[in-house]
Amino acid sequence: MAMLELKDVTISYKNVPAVQNVNLSLEEGEICSIVGESGSGKTTVIRAVLGLLAGGGKVTKGDILFDGETLLTRSGEEWRKLRGTKISMIFQDSGAMMNPTRKIGDCFVEYIRTHENISKKDAWEKGVKMLENMRLPNGDNVMRSYPFQLSGGMRQRVGIAMGMTYQPKLLLADEPTSALDVTTQAQIIRQFMELREEYGTSIIMVTHNLGVAAYMSDYIVVMKDGIIEDEGTRDYILKGTRKEYTKTLLDAVPSLGGVRYV
Amino acid sequence: MFDEKDVILEAKHITRKFPASGGRTLTACSDVSLKLYKGKTLGLVGESGCGKSTFMRFLVSLDTPTEGEIFFHGKNITQLKGEELRQNRQYIQMVFQDPSASFNPKMKIRDIICEPLMNFKRIKASEKDAVARKFLEMVDLPGEFADRYPHNMSGGQRQRVAIARAIALEPEIIVMDEATCALDVSVQKTIIELVVGLQKQKNISIGFIAHDLGLIQSFAHQIAVMYLGTIVEVLPGEEISTSAMHPYTQALLGAVFDLNMDFSKKIESIESEAPSPLDVPPGCPFQNRCDRCMEICREKRPALIDVAKGHQVACHLYT
Repeated sequence: MAMLELKDVTISYKNVPAVQNVNLSLEEGEICSIVGESGSGKTTVIRAVLGLLAGGGKVTKGDILFDGETLLTRSGEEWRKLRGTKISMIFQDSGAMMNPTRKIGDCFVEYIRTHENISKKDAWEKGVKMLENMRLPNGDNVMRSYPFQLSGGMRQRVGIAMGMTYQPKLLLADEPTSALDVTTQAQIIRQFMELREEYGTSIIMVTHNLGVAAYMSDYIVVMKDGIIEDEGTRDYILKGTRKEYTKTLLDAVPSLGGVRYV
Repeated sequence: MFDEKDVILEAKHITRKFPASGGRTLTACSDVSLKLYKGKTLGLVGESGCGKSTFMRFLVSLDTPTEGEIFFHGKNITQLKGEELRQNRQYIQMVFQDPSASFNPKMKIRDIICEPLMNFKRIKASEKDAVARKFLEMVDLPGEFADRYPHNMSGGQRQRVAIARAIALEPEIIVMDEATCALDVSVQKTIIELVVGLQKQKNISIGFIAHDLGLIQSFAHQIAVMYLGTIVEVLPGEEISTSAMHPYTQALLGAVFDLNMDFSKKIESIESEAPSPLDVPPGCPFQNRCDRCMEICREKRPALIDVAKGHQVACHLYT
């Protein structure tokens, strides 16, 4: 049985469908990328999985199953048990999800103590350890910093550290590298790959960078105007696809030693 | 390909220091010398905070360097003031990263495109409509867009309007500060094609800032790689993937995700982050991230030296 299954899902904002008839299934340890242009509904899909649809968005048709159980009828309390421990999310700018007037450590300790009944001191140590696992040297120092004191890459790592604290089975990443420099992007992508090797985490990654999607994923979904336009294994998407839209997208990716206009 | 007599703009030993808290100084650019050639594109790449935007702002006279001079057709433009400075702006125009933030939201596209022309009294108010349509068509947008407001358009369309506004004065140089990085790849491609087409047609020189090496090598004649305020390598655009020499350029190349790459290969990326420009180490700025760092790198800053025609590199490995 697949770990996560989206069955014929339609999501609407104020009765206007934004995403229609999406089917997707993900096995344990699998990495799937959703690619597409802005406004194609890729973020809406993963937000629906975690029940975080913004602005009155609702799943109006179909079902989302996680470990065989539906996610659509959960109460607030049930969601709290699931979020952060079994399913985590990493946002485009992790700095924006943190309170700017509180130190990283303060948020992190609160986060840990929401999920687990431990002392502040133990929670602090757990946080430091997680940060250092995510290759943030001197985790203690990071815990004592405000979000604005860290660089974009470091903030993103803090986000990943928080998301991975309870080794969730499923990690949802919404454009986690698009605000970063190429070198930092490479470091973060490598970290995602290590998460899978180390913890067997499944990842759904929303991105518009086809190069990144191709490098990371076992399976790629191409979305356009709220529907799945094309999907398949990496090899199929890169080499075997017959869809014109996918070909145009692939064609537009600038590549080293590729097309030159001058 | 790069003829000395085609040099249209030359920056010589540009340094820019900003005062920072605690009496410290932040050196955003240190001793940067670059040349722009007639009808050619100079691509400037580097990580955020390396000073590439600071440098490009000098070219459009939005800021003045602490030291050094910029010569446009042999004339020093760094000290221009008043009317002379205003007149000079006609020749060098800019396209910004975020097209929605660089327009007045209450102006119609017609007024946006024609404003620079009106400022320099090149056209009469009665001609605005026709002129706006002409420029819109030049950037492949329908002429009816003249009546729209910026918020009625998509990001790609807005960026086309920004380009139309920049070419309206028929400038000799256009500076583009990450002009495509907020756009989807498919839109990005069409914008690049448009820019390259206009460049060929009007023989404009372009200064393009980017951090995507794959993108920049597809249309730059000359690429300059910047790190922590200094230029570490300058080389012809078509050679970037084959003959880059500086360890930093090679690291940037290693971090590019390419559809044709070997997916089983581990990503090679430099660890750690660039040091703060507030305390640049003595010696080579790249020393703490370089895997081939030597004794001399910690003591002496390498100078930019010629290694081949049109190819300069600043690294002790090659001295």
